[in-house]
Amino acid sequence: MFKLFKKDLILFFHDQRSVILTFLLPVILITLFAFAYGSIGAYNGRSEPVKLMVADMDQTSASKEIIYRIDSLEDINIVISDSAKSKELVIKGKFAGALIINKGFQDSLEAGKATPIELVYDRSREMEIGILQQNIFRTVMSSAGEIVFKKSIEKYLQNQFPDIDKSISDNIIRAAIKNSNYTPVIKWTSIVGEKNDTKLGLIQAVAGTAILMLLFSVAGVGTSILEEKENGTINRLLYSPLKGSAILYGKMMFAFFISILQLTSMFLFAWLIFNMDLSVNIPALILMIIATAFAVSSLGIFLAAVAKTRQQAQNLSTIIILVMSAIGGSMIPLFIMPSILQKIALLSVNYWGIQGFYDIFWRSLPLVAILPKILLLMSIGIVLTLASIQLFKKRVMKL
Amino acid sequence: MIQLRSVSKSYGNIEAVKDVSFSIEKGEIFGILGPNGAGKSTIVNILNTLVKPDKGDVIIDGVNIKDDGDTIKLIMGVVPQEIALYEELSAYENLMFWGGLYDIPQPELKANVNNTLEIVDLSGRKNDRIKTFSGGMKRRINIACSLLHNPKILVLDEPTVGVDPQNRNHIFEVIERLNNDGMTIIYTTHYMEEAERFCDKIAIIDVGSIIAQGTLKELRKVSDVKDLITVKLADSGNEIISRITSVNSLYKFDGTTNTLKVECVNITRDISIIINHIQNSGGVIERIYTQGTNLESIYLKLTGKELRD
Repeated sequence: MFKLFKKDLILFFHDQRSVILTFLLPVILITLFAFAYGSIGAYNGRSEPVKLMVADMDQTSASKEIIYRIDSLEDINIVISDSAKSKELVIKGKFAGALIINKGFQDSLEAGKATPIELVYDRSREMEIGILQQNIFRTVMSSAGEIVFKKSIEKYLQNQFPDIDKSISDNIIRAAIKNSNYTPVIKWTSIVGEKNDTKLGLIQAVAGTAILMLLFSVAGVGTSILEEKENGTINRLLYSPLKGSAILYGKMMFAFFISILQLTSMFLFAWLIFNMDLSVNIPALILMIIATAFAVSSLGIFLAAVAKTRQQAQNLSTIIILVMSAIGGSMIPLFIMPSILQKIALLSVNYWGIQGFYDIFWRSLPLVAILPKILLLMSIGIVLTLASIQLFKKRVMKL
Repeated sequence: MIQLRSVSKSYGNIEAVKDVSFSIEKGEIFGILGPNGAGKSTIVNILNTLVKPDKGDVIIDGVNIKDDGDTIKLIMGVVPQEIALYEELSAYENLMFWGGLYDIPQPELKANVNNTLEIVDLSGRKNDRIKTFSGGMKRRINIACSLLHNPKILVLDEPTVGVDPQNRNHIFEVIERLNNDGMTIIYTTHYMEEAERFCDKIAIIDVGSIIAQGTLKELRKVSDVKDLITVKLADSGNEIISRITSVNSLYKFDGTTNTLKVECVNITRDISIIINHIQNSGGVIERIYTQGTNLESIYLKLTGKELRD
């Protein structure tokens, strides 16, 4: 029995893949999830602050005081802009929400009327919106009420009792505020995804999962090059009039075709079974599928080009794909990660792919607005393809 | 047909091929014999233009490979050492794929595929997947894939490794048939008997250098290896042994095994002389063994080591 145990132990540690999958990969993923959900590594042990756009159309002391108080919160970082720009950036997915303080805000507060203040938001980013909601309601708006209530009592006391003692006046105000239940109402408006019927979860399921699974299948295609090298068929191809580059391009073409086929099939499946409306922006959808397929297939080939053996390629693919999917938004919402990981996420194909499909199906953006993401995916594909060609010439095509 | 002139190739500090020269006539079977790692595959890759030699010239069918590698690929078929086939495809699909790389028109390619399947005697299994084939059958398809573009020259790199005797004979028959049809064949092997069986000329290669080359007869001459007759004697007295060995220094007696060993040029001619001499000297013969000159003994003599699988 002990001999069998010992033999299996030796075999296990000789199998690089088993060791990586058992120890290294979980360690990497735990670290990533700890950063994300446990806020490890973040400032003061907190999550990264949520970025909030603020448009102050009122430009009064009350509106400025509110903005100042929001800005002083640790969980929120504000960016000042105008109303139209704020809405546009929320629609484009740059910000989770924008607080728009319309003209007449202070007057309405003082008059105790409905305040013209609105939070426009993207409901696909519910965790960020949750943080905004919690902070704005509990802290800021109660403070806003306090400011206005205090001002109106002060004004009243000054008019009625001009000689009142300051300490008495403060006590009256404190007591009045304590007993007041005045809370201005914020209008909450979802401005993203309202034009289409597609459910948010469905978009995430199709886009996120499709790209993740696509990476695995394309990595398999890439690995097959090394398999062909090992079983001698690559050499045999080189004996024929084919050029080495033609062999590589042939493989790339296949990986690209499979990627397009797989992505298209997944969207068609979502359309047939879940009634996902694919007609929202057909040109953009076609271009996004092509760009994503190109970037993903290039990555799959690149991973195979980096590795020296099939075994190494499989190990590398598993780690890179899972890590990239984790930081790219397929597994963890990006905003809760430390800023360094959020920056790294920009290098992942998952991020740009998922965001592109969100732009089409959720944000209903026009093609022009999606083009930068499409071009970026194409650029990732071109860079990886060029790198793969060089690596393949050095490693795979060498006899 | 093929000429190699002072060809050398190094990989880093390792000299894979050192100053190799040989020439092969049209329709010859040329054997390259040597142990694994001797440089046989590097020579094959140089011939097929995949590896550029550091020095020397290679002329094939009047074309220097430096000038027109593409033409060389069209006139040469290479059977790799590995079974380089797609296991999930059928024999027919494999042949159509590999032949298709040479831009042969479809009707012609189909005819070539069927003809080649007949040559390797696997027409009956053409629609079966390669993974269902035995090792020997795969080797035959491996050869067939290199014949589809009707090459003038066929290079076979250790084509019988791991093949059972029956399939090995089948492969030999295919090679002989192709050669009879006029194809020039280069055959690398580390099996002596294969080189002996059908190679018109043999080059013995060791550590990247050709140590000797020529026909078997020429190699025998170069190596100066003789046939050997071993005679086991019944108990004989010293006087008889002395009488036998005193006549000629070629008679060597080994007292521990009681055997007499005689090197000779021609076994058939010399054996009766030796038997008569022993009997006339009073010796009694128990048993006689003969060992003719073969490639193995030549190789041993030339390299000082045995060629093993």
